[in-house]
Amino acid sequence: MIAIAFITFREVLEAALVVSLVMAASKGTPRRGRWVAGGAGLGALGAGVVAALAAEIAAMLAGVGQEVFNATVLFAAVAMLGWHNVWMGRHGKEMAIGAATLGRQVLAGTRPLYALAIAVGLAVLREGSELVLFLDGLIAAGNGEGLWEGVLLGFGCGAGLGIVLYAGLLRIPTRYLFSVTSWMILLLAAGMAAQGAAFLSQADLLPALGNRLWDTSGLLSESSIPGQILHVLVGYVSQPSGIQLLFYVATILVVGALMRRFGEAPPAVTRLAVAALAVWGGFAAFSVARADFQVRYPTVEYGELEFEHNGSTTFDKPNSGRSNDQSYTNSIGYGVTPWWMVELEGEWAAPPGQNLYFDALTLENIFQLTETGEYWADLGFFAELSHGMRRGDPDSVTFGPIAQKEIGNTLHTINVFFGKEFGQGASDATELQLAWQSRWRFHPLIEPGFEYYGDVADLAHPGKIADQEHRIGPGLFGEYGFPPNGKLKYEVAYLFGLTRGTEKGAVRWKLEYEAHF
Amino acid sequence: MSLKSLAFVLALGGLLAMTLSARAEDPVFNLTIRDHRFEPAELQIPARTKVKLLIKNLDSTPEEFESHELHREKVVPPGQEVAVFIGPLDPGTYPFFGDFNPKTAQGKIVAK
Repeated sequence: MIAIAFITFREVLEAALVVSLVMAASKGTPRRGRWVAGGAGLGALGAGVVAALAAEIAAMLAGVGQEVFNATVLFAAVAMLGWHNVWMGRHGKEMAIGAATLGRQVLAGTRPLYALAIAVGLAVLREGSELVLFLDGLIAAGNGEGLWEGVLLGFGCGAGLGIVLYAGLLRIPTRYLFSVTSWMILLLAAGMAAQGAAFLSQADLLPALGNRLWDTSGLLSESSIPGQILHVLVGYVSQPSGIQLLFYVATILVVGALMRRFGEAPPAVTRLAVAALAVWGGFAAFSVARADFQVRYPTVEYGELEFEHNGSTTFDKPNSGRSNDQSYTNSIGYGVTPWWMVELEGEWAAPPGQNLYFDALTLENIFQLTETGEYWADLGFFAELSHGMRRGDPDSVTFGPIAQKEIGNTLHTINVFFGKEFGQGASDATELQLAWQSRWRFHPLIEPGFEYYGDVADLAHPGKIADQEHRIGPGLFGEYGFPPNGKLKYEVAYLFGLTRGTEKGAVRWKLEYEAHF
Repeated sequence: MSLKSLAFVLALGGLLAMTLSARAEDPVFNLTIRDHRFEPAELQIPARTKVKLLIKNLDSTPEEFESHELHREKVVPPGQEVAVFIGPLDPGTYPFFGDFNPKTAQGKIVAK
């Protein structure tokens, strides 16, 4: 009975803390109770469904379905809470001052509220499904005595503590309440992101980056009650892995920066975000990125933050060993100075016949050497350090010049890069990677053009051209801006293999969101 | 050094030299950012000539000079002046805007 009570208490507490925080953060908004209750109710319903389908979910995604599901739920909650914070930063002040008319309050009340309702729903979904599964397991193992008493006791204590937190938060004067709850929601979201990262590293879809950065379980154990509370509220983990710390810091950085840019975040949040940036920078790891298909440009935008996704996959005869070679990268880049951009990139690969795995962690730099349009061509320099994540994979460095020229309404770019491996499993070869892109600036949204990629594996022994990799094909490029909130960019190209050493065809794409901070 | 490597280095050097080749002084025009507006809002420049725009930001917040028609975007930090090279442009009108304050920062370059 006690075990049942404690497990129930733990799960209910986690959900109750989120509910209390959300309720306090939305104080003053009409009918918020209804939204939150609705979210919680839907979450509970979903929890029942998830628990019933638990086996199926785990079987999906080759046995890591559960982790991926949990991580997805957590990241979705992070997005909802982050959106709420940014939105509140903009409108919270107006509402607190009472400047809004009733109509606007109602309108203002619904918009972030459904984000909060979703966040509450997701919290209840997560905790609820875990609880049902735990209890199921206990009953199956024959320890189901005192089920109802235990659940009631646990539920009562968990909900009780949640109400205590709510009451405590309400004692904060309204003019401070929004900034306090914004802070707390920021930390709550960061903790959830760290938890999501832990699930994904468990599923081997993210590297652990160090399994135990520190051990404070002697000071405060996560299984103690204050430890539990701190875990939910600020994401306290007694033995964090590197990827957990990374995601924690990154969430504070990103949401804090968004709050600063689009809202009126208190200066302290900005300072926290800057500190997080420093920690992030310290975490830059090196990784070996393979020949991914993308053309680099020699321009840097000062103060611009960009989120980028690149992907490519190949097509060839099914048994050639060159078909369905997939590569995906996700990265965050920032224009640190008007002439230097740095980017941290994670690369995932699924070579032919293999499952997706985390391949490499990369630090890229682009230097803009000349002012656009000042000379005959615009010059830049590219330098990248890459760390292979699998045992025995080498590290590598890739560098080289970038040149770009405008001719009338067309734009031409060339990359000439050299790559060298080092470390365990490194080959002696110096690799040459060529890329060329021409596009016609028909319209900012649609710029047609073509790309060429060439790869010589060993410059010292280039061999026959037929054995090298050469590809060429049409591409479409474009961007859509919504100033002052940034812009979306896309690139897509189909590349025909030109030699017998190249796959028959490949498709590559890039999606990017950039905004200024 | 092999002949191949030498040829390669020469080609790269040639590209660099061409890029940095001296050119006659480009005419300079000035734009000012004040109260999230560009002054002047309409700037006339000679057509078919490379022009150097000096953009000075008198506001306390950064602005970004951006134009789809001119294919340029450059951040101007508060209190600072940056150079943007445009042209040679065919005669016509080329609008630009301030990416951070698009509602008020609007202007156009008229090439004649």
